[in-house]
Amino acid sequence: MLSLIKIEWLKIKKYPAFWWMLVIVALTYPSINLMFLNVYEEISKGKEMGAIAKMLLGNPYAFPETWHSVAFFSSFFIVLPAILVIMLITNEYNYKTHRQNIIDGWSRENFITSKLCDVLIISTIITIVYAIVAAGYGFYTDSKTFYRWAEQLEYIPLFYLQTFAQLTLAFLLGYLIKKAFIALGIYFFQYLIIENIGVSWFKYKVGNDLGRFFPFEISDRIVPPPAFIGNFGKDAKAGYEKAVAAVPEHVIMTIILTAAIWFICYRVHKKRDL
Amino acid sequence: MQPILSIQGVSKNYGSIQALNSVSFEVPQGCVFGILGPNGSGKTTLLSIILDILQARSGTYSWFGKPGSADTRKLIGSLLETPNFYHYLSAVDNLNITHAISGRGDAADIDRVLEIVKLSARKKSKFKTYSLGMKQRLAIAAALLGNPDVLVFDEPTNGLDPVGIAEIRELIKQLARDGKTIIMASHLLDEVEKVCTHVAILKKGNLLTAGPVDEVLANEDIVEVSAQDTVKLKQVLASIPGHTHLKEEGKAIQLFFPIGTANMEDINRYCFNQGITLNQLLLKKKSLETKFFELTND
Repeated sequence: MLSLIKIEWLKIKKYPAFWWMLVIVALTYPSINLMFLNVYEEISKGKEMGAIAKMLLGNPYAFPETWHSVAFFSSFFIVLPAILVIMLITNEYNYKTHRQNIIDGWSRENFITSKLCDVLIISTIITIVYAIVAAGYGFYTDSKTFYRWAEQLEYIPLFYLQTFAQLTLAFLLGYLIKKAFIALGIYFFQYLIIENIGVSWFKYKVGNDLGRFFPFEISDRIVPPPAFIGNFGKDAKAGYEKAVAAVPEHVIMTIILTAAIWFICYRVHKKRDL
Repeated sequence: MQPILSIQGVSKNYGSIQALNSVSFEVPQGCVFGILGPNGSGKTTLLSIILDILQARSGTYSWFGKPGSADTRKLIGSLLETPNFYHYLSAVDNLNITHAISGRGDAADIDRVLEIVKLSARKKSKFKTYSLGMKQRLAIAAALLGNPDVLVFDEPTNGLDPVGIAEIRELIKQLARDGKTIIMASHLLDEVEKVCTHVAILKKGNLLTAGPVDEVLANEDIVEVSAQDTVKLKQVLASIPGHTHLKEEGKAIQLFFPIGTANMEDINRYCFNQGITLNQLLLKKKSLETKFFELTND
């Protein structure tokens, strides 16, 4: 495993798209959260309205809620590392190095394991960036809540699992489709359009919650919207509590789906012509 | 001696197209084994199967007496079809990956193989900046990394200029002199004839023949003779006992005998006694090209 990671590092460390992705993520995650923080600070500035806003919102960027809020808002940008994951697998097809790696002495299992390592490494990097941003805002926004930094730390592994699961879906598309642009197109179409429309359609037209079984939606619900969302009315409170209660179920479904995808990739790669 | 590679009844289909039909042969140690065939005959498919890129429908193969595996492939330097490297990496970075996967070679060896293929001056340039010939040279360098005892080359001179072709041909001969076993697919008959000791000929997925080049080519003796009076020579030769047929080849006449039955002294004496003085008497080997067309023409 370690030797596979070393070899993948030889491939990645001089790949410009990897560093670009890292820079863009490192800029995007703090920026999107800064935007929401500014909105919060703006509406909680006035004396009367500010008091109401603070009561309703809490401070979503103070400890411990920062772990939750930053995870939720940052997860919108999973598409950035997803582009990298798709490029890393489709590059292998494009350069035919998926064949050369085998010719040189990898087994077919080694190849898929190496790609699994890529997805794990990228998920780890993304999670580290998230954790730094969340901790940074926690320390920056409210010094009175520092002592609560260790609460809600479960959002770190939840964010990691969500990232890994959604990057696994990106990998699957790249692996099966082989062409970067088509895979990226399908990824965006599914993630941004099909699932949003599908989930709303099931919820508002059909009147059930079957939309939660869409591939991305399964792991999307691992990190529910931040707690302040539940303070906007009775229905919102009930909705928030329902979303939180459903997290364990979605964690299990995410693990099963993700494991199944990797299992299928191993099986397919063992049998197919390269 | 145990063969380096043994192929037993390997078949492969692409849908309804039979790419290989129960192909079997062995590659002895220390030979230069040419796999010949027209385009689409199954050469690359066969090499892809023995390197685990394609799955055979049926049949087996073994390297060094063991079933093919990742471990056996690590012992083989291979160039299959096209040079496959990471475009954004340099020659050295790409060979570092080859080294890391195969365990063959080290940093000093990377410099050595780049020197052999004359890429030292461009070793830090990105692969995507290379010409077709340079890419091919890098693929040969990767195959040579770690000085493996067995090499598989699929069309090794693809994309090279005439000087490059001659250099690679000389390199292959040198490797053969060093005792390496080389398996080489090509449709360039001249190339194979110049370097190979053994040959297998494929056509539409069927193995037509396989064995040492001399045995494959020499299924009859060809004696080429000429004299001043070609008309009389032809009349005399027509009555020589033992020959199967004769053919005019420019000013010379070729006499065909069953293998091992042509006696040069008897032919010379017979002609002299019939009043013909020969000015050429030569036992010829059939060219690989002739044999190839004989076998592969419908």
